[in-house]
Amino acid sequence: MGYLAWRNLTQSKTRFLLSVGGVALALALVLVLDAILAGFEGPLAAPIERSGADVWVSQKGVRNLHMVLSTLPEGVVEVVAGVPGVASVTPMLYTTQMLRGPRGSRSSYVFGLPADAQAGKPAGAWPPGAGEVILDSGLGQVLGLEAGDTARVFGRNFRVAGFATGLSNPLNGVSFLRLEDFARLRRSRDTVSFVLVRVGPGRSAEEVARRIEEEVEGVSALSRAAFARRERAVVRDMGADAINIMNLAGLLIGLAVMALVMYTATLSRRAEYGVLKALGASSGHLYRVVLAQALYSVGLGLGLAVALTLVLPLVLSALGLNLPLQLTWASLLKAGGMALVVAGAASALPMRQIAGLDPARVYRGGAR
Amino acid sequence: MRTERAATLRVQNLSKRYGSGETAVQAVKGVSLEVSPGEIVLIMGPSGSGKTTLLSMLGALLRPTEGRIELDGLVLSELSEGRLPDIRLRHFGFVFQDFNLLSALSALDNVAIVAELAGLGRKAARARARALLEELGLGARLHFLPEQLSGGEKQRVAIARALVNEPALLLADEPTANLDSHHGHETMRLLRRIAKEQGKSVLIVSHDARIQDIADRVLWLEDGEFKEMRSLATDPVCGMTVEREKAVSAQWEGKSYYFCCRGCREEFLAGPQRFGKATARERE
Ligand SMILES: Nc1ncnc2c1ncn2[C@@H]1O[C@H](COP(=O)(O)OP(=O)(O)O)[C@@H](O)[C@H]1O
Ligand SMILES: [Mg+2]
Repeated sequence: MGYLAWRNLTQSKTRFLLSVGGVALALALVLVLDAILAGFEGPLAAPIERSGADVWVSQKGVRNLHMVLSTLPEGVVEVVAGVPGVASVTPMLYTTQMLRGPRGSRSSYVFGLPADAQAGKPAGAWPPGAGEVILDSGLGQVLGLEAGDTARVFGRNFRVAGFATGLSNPLNGVSFLRLEDFARLRRSRDTVSFVLVRVGPGRSAEEVARRIEEEVEGVSALSRAAFARRERAVVRDMGADAINIMNLAGLLIGLAVMALVMYTATLSRRAEYGVLKALGASSGHLYRVVLAQALYSVGLGLGLAVALTLVLPLVLSALGLNLPLQLTWASLLKAGGMALVVAGAASALPMRQIAGLDPARVYRGGAR
Repeated sequence: MRTERAATLRVQNLSKRYGSGETAVQAVKGVSLEVSPGEIVLIMGPSGSGKTTLLSMLGALLRPTEGRIELDGLVLSELSEGRLPDIRLRHFGFVFQDFNLLSALSALDNVAIVAELAGLGRKAARARARALLEELGLGARLHFLPEQLSGGEKQRVAIARALVNEPALLLADEPTANLDSHHGHETMRLLRRIAKEQGKSVLIVSHDARIQDIADRVLWLEDGEFKEMRSLATDPVCGMTVEREKAVSAQWEGKSYYFCCRGCREEFLAGPQRFGKATARERE
């Protein structure tokens, strides 16, 4: 019976294109909005998640990175180092700055780390020399800077020593200076912003964080996972809500379009299903045919939608737009699953009328 | 050499009432009928006389209000609703006025799918469909879509579809109404051949008098009941069967002619010799 479903779907080229294209566009809308959200949220906590620090120690009450001011006396570093379970400590200075380059400017996290940092340093070009800055590659692109160029940080010229990858998010770039440069320019010689802790083998980050909060006065300590979670929550509160609402609206519109397409597909064949019923097809047969047709439509539509979602960033970047899209399995499963349920239900809906149809109707000028 | 077997179809006292109360319509009233294997029965009657209602009940498409339908020893009127589709699939072949082929499927698949519904594998179903279509002279049209076939070809595909599950009884409602007289007659001869060669019973409902000559028996249904045919005549112009008492008539060369309407009568009187042959069909 599968071939009847397939022929019904493909018999008319126009209808086939409208049908599969409609499903594809509906799903692409869902996938692209998801991918925008994922592209936005995914790297939000990247500087934390990729820091290599098991525990982030901050001024008491500071529980994330974005838009915070954390100041700890330098002496705290040694105290934290003495807490049982702590394997290494790395002092870090942090602020958010507008960086400028020949192509543009962008808000960026600026981290100051010692050359021998045990945590917090980016993979690749480390350490920067005195008067040098390491930029996240995404930030470098936006600013139009290459290795050897000059970037303005804290009102001074810094030479771009190299690039780190995968740390920027849509809100902020990321850059690294030597701790000493940072301290000198910001006149924060006797303070640090955070202490990055690595725990000893076999130690749990949560456990050590709790010990630090107990034993060290005036600090908060959070495991990397907890710190990253807080960071995401804060940033999501600031901007992602709008995207989430868009996303939900997109999902509803997409599903509605698809439901309409599938409903129409069955309805337009109502008379023929009526004939099959009169000839002796059971309702089960008929449901199988329309469900198979829904399955084919969703399968083809989803494939096309994925292709569209993957091609879109290329098109956008060719147009000079930078929109980070991240297609996730979760989103694919969500879109595919919901599409199947909605398409199946929508295409089976008219069958209820057909199943309830008086089969004698076909003898009265068809089931029309 | 047909031996006298038990009737394929035996109908007793069949009635159908649509609706209830004041608006109830008694479409069929206490009809009884027997059809033997290999017999072709033509049921004629004016529009609204209950022909389609009767045929639908015989084909297990419509439940009778009263009466008993027995097909090959199976009492249809006693079966549960859930069993009827399968009965239709295996015991009846349906032929419709407007062919009702599935527009997306080739001639071959239109026939094969009905065999598949009855549980045959795809390959076997296609092989059987192919053999049937070739037998009906459609060997060169197997892969044509319905829209690429002529009316007569479509009706032959529909007949192949009706035969594919080897039913005992073919039911056809106005099978020639959408065909020109040549193809209509060809279709009727085909049905006759099938009845005689394969011993199938064929029940045809029509108000087309031109097909009377292929039937073994012609019944006249009127107001839901079988009536005597004696008072009937054939309009020599349009071929419709008309009742003498109610029809417009004319005299020519000492004979009476009956017409469905004044238009036909005038056409006849403008040149009676053109229709002279039709008198042979007149029933006394
Ligand atoms: N579904 C129905 N509901 C109510 N009345 C109907 C229905 N079908 C047919 N009828 C009535 O029953 C009578 C017989 O109809 P039908 O069997 O279609 O006659 P025919 O096929 O001879 O033209 C007509 O009066 C028609 O209006
Ligand atoms: Mg009728």
